[in-house]
Amino acid sequence: MSQTFKGGVHPDYMKAPEIPVTVITPPPQVVIPMIQHIGAPCQPLVKKGDKVTMGQKIGENPAPVSAPVHASVSGTVVAVEPRPHPLGDMILSVVIENDGLDTPCTDMAPLTDEQLRDPEAILDRIREAGVVGMGGAMFPTAFKIRGGLNKVDKLIINGAECEPYLNGDHLTMLNYPEQLLKGIELVRIASGVETAYYGIEENKRDAIDLLNSLHPEQYGIQIVPEQVKYPQGAEKMQVFAVTGRRVKPGGLPSGVGANVISTRTCYAVYQACCEGRPVIDRIVSVGGSALAAPVNGLTRVGTPLGYLAEQCGGFVKELRKVVLGGPMMGICATNLDAPTIKGNSGVLYFTEEEDQHVDEPTCIRCGKCITVCPMNLEPVFMYMYYSKGDYENLEKYHVTDCFECGSCAFNCPARMPLTHAFKTAKLMIQAKAMKEKAAAEAAAAKEAKK
Amino acid sequence: MSEQKERIILDVAYQPQVRTSRDTRSLMLNVIIALTPAIAVSVWQFGLTPLVVLASSVCSAVFFEWAYRRLMKKSTTIDDLSAVITGLLLAMTLPPTAPWWLPIIGTFFAIVVVKQLYGGLGKNFLNPAMAGRAFLLASYATIMGNYSIPRGLTGAVDGITMATPLNYLYGSDPMPAYFTLKNLFLGYMPGAIGELSTLAILIGGVWLIARKVISWRIPVSFIGTVALLTLIFGGGGMGHADFMLYNLLSGGLMLCAFFMATDYATSPVTLNGQLLFGFGCGVITVLIRYFGGYAEGVSYAVLIMNLCTWAIDKAFHRHQFGVTKEDLDAQKAAAKAAKEAAK
Repeated sequence: MSQTFKGGVHPDYMKAPEIPVTVITPPPQVVIPMIQHIGAPCQPLVKKGDKVTMGQKIGENPAPVSAPVHASVSGTVVAVEPRPHPLGDMILSVVIENDGLDTPCTDMAPLTDEQLRDPEAILDRIREAGVVGMGGAMFPTAFKIRGGLNKVDKLIINGAECEPYLNGDHLTMLNYPEQLLKGIELVRIASGVETAYYGIEENKRDAIDLLNSLHPEQYGIQIVPEQVKYPQGAEKMQVFAVTGRRVKPGGLPSGVGANVISTRTCYAVYQACCEGRPVIDRIVSVGGSALAAPVNGLTRVGTPLGYLAEQCGGFVKELRKVVLGGPMMGICATNLDAPTIKGNSGVLYFTEEEDQHVDEPTCIRCGKCITVCPMNLEPVFMYMYYSKGDYENLEKYHVTDCFECGSCAFNCPARMPLTHAFKTAKLMIQAKAMKEKAAAEAAAAKEAKK
Repeated sequence: MSEQKERIILDVAYQPQVRTSRDTRSLMLNVIIALTPAIAVSVWQFGLTPLVVLASSVCSAVFFEWAYRRLMKKSTTIDDLSAVITGLLLAMTLPPTAPWWLPIIGTFFAIVVVKQLYGGLGKNFLNPAMAGRAFLLASYATIMGNYSIPRGLTGAVDGITMATPLNYLYGSDPMPAYFTLKNLFLGYMPGAIGELSTLAILIGGVWLIARKVISWRIPVSFIGTVALLTLIFGGGGMGHADFMLYNLLSGGLMLCAFFMATDYATSPVTLNGQLLFGFGCGVITVLIRYFGGYAEGVSYAVLIMNLCTWAIDKAFHRHQFGVTKEDLDAQKAAAKAAKEAAK
């Protein structure tokens, strides 16, 4: 019996794991943004005219919540300036003219066998190699593991890959099973736990069988098959499916002694520790009806989105939007010059075929949003209060617990913009709280002056 | 090249970027499909006359929806098929021999007064078809109570109209022999267009549940409550089990439970709220059948429970994922302590 959670939806999966991984030719110029993680932005370590090697560290910040960035090609730095970031806005980036040689950087040697048993050495290397949550959250992995030390007794590796279109995790399991298991073992050692639970959705049966045949128990790994359902890969749902524990509202998985690390992150940990290779590339699932066929491309970090599309055969239909990540939680890029970053599991080039926009959506009160919400929320009422601007009731209906998985809006026959509304509402509530806090502090300061 | 790129203007749509293929229209279409077995039975038992009533009702419902929205300079909404459903459902509750103009009056009340005046689709608080029927029942009681003899029972009684099984069930006369349970199940009984055959309605209802258009909660709790109460209290000069079965098979119970009480806009969306709603409909139906002035109570039961929907949804507001009973108790205790501290 495979494990799961309550609620959720079954989108059209559109997956293509049977398509072998193509190596995307690195572009003539890569753009490496200084923000590819949650936390303090990196400061560039190079300037215009510098020669860099592939894998050389080119940006870092000593703050604990941060992750350095590395050159994904060798060549010459031609600019250090704000450039379009895939998530919007202009962000300070290092632009490298590719010399096509891929001269490797030798700064980072593989860890010795002794170091591979030392949690501190592994954690330092994870940080140094710029490993972040590569499922899309891009939270610095070393900080996440450190934060869970002595609190976490259940380490969960996320192999659900429940978003449509994405195949990167599945292909990593199939192509590099031993390396992946080793990477998971390293994360397990760094986390100081006995067993890592690897939750994989049943639609990756071939990968489950392959990994099971490689004696995962020798690495301290137990594979947990899970029901195919979106959002199985959401942290809270993963924790519940594997351990039966419920993360508290507003809390982190570590609050119930669990930590969730994604498949691709574990593979990045393997590369960092055993190959001395920082995060400079990843499998990006490229799809959408604007392209002739989907591609699973091993793509360097910093590859511009327009160039990536050209490498994947170019557009055969008129492009309407570019989605970064999966279609359920992915957000839209605004500029084809923006580069892919560490967290991009997919890039989808959509035409109006995928568009489901309606001009005047009308809620019919069918309640289908309620039955699918994995957080047990009531989107129909949340939306009603949102459209009235009633933030007090929005909070009462726990809008802040919405993690924007998009299940409600996906399932809405009336095509109400539910998730979008809740995202906005959360930002407004946050802004309001900050304003109140500032006002209270100002009042306290005034009081103190007296 | 870069100039060309800049000319591409990309949409920035909110997530999710993909949606289910099922939209409002396809849900409504499923309801129409689910009603066809019941319509077929009425044609089988009464010939083409029910079709005249149905056609008049659907056409007028769509017309009023279109005309009102146009007069009020609002967008046209007849494409969503909800007006077609209101027309169909209202006609389903009328006698097969009703005059062609009767449903026009009913749909005017249903579409314009009950639905559109409150904002249209999804915003009305009473079921339009049920309210339309209640309006006609109050205005044209004689026509609404005239049930002609179905083909399957030709020659069973003299005249052209006959009393319904419900009249006998709660009247002083014993149930006639031609109203066997099997006859009622298959549709050999006088009654409104849509309520003849329990079998036909069940086929439609199960289809709706299987297609996930409606949930099982309201129909099961509605019918279950009626079954339980009539089984306990009995009556009709027969065994309790028979009395219960006659109650389930006669009148509009099945039609209402599957098609009227499950109306999205006017029934609760909370899951436990739906169970309570069905229970309430069942209790009121039984009360009206036992003690009311009308033989049939389901339409009033549904209308009364419609009025409670908002309160039920409020009461069954559920807690978010991750909240335990201890958390709630602690919250309550904290609120109590704060209240006392304020005193």
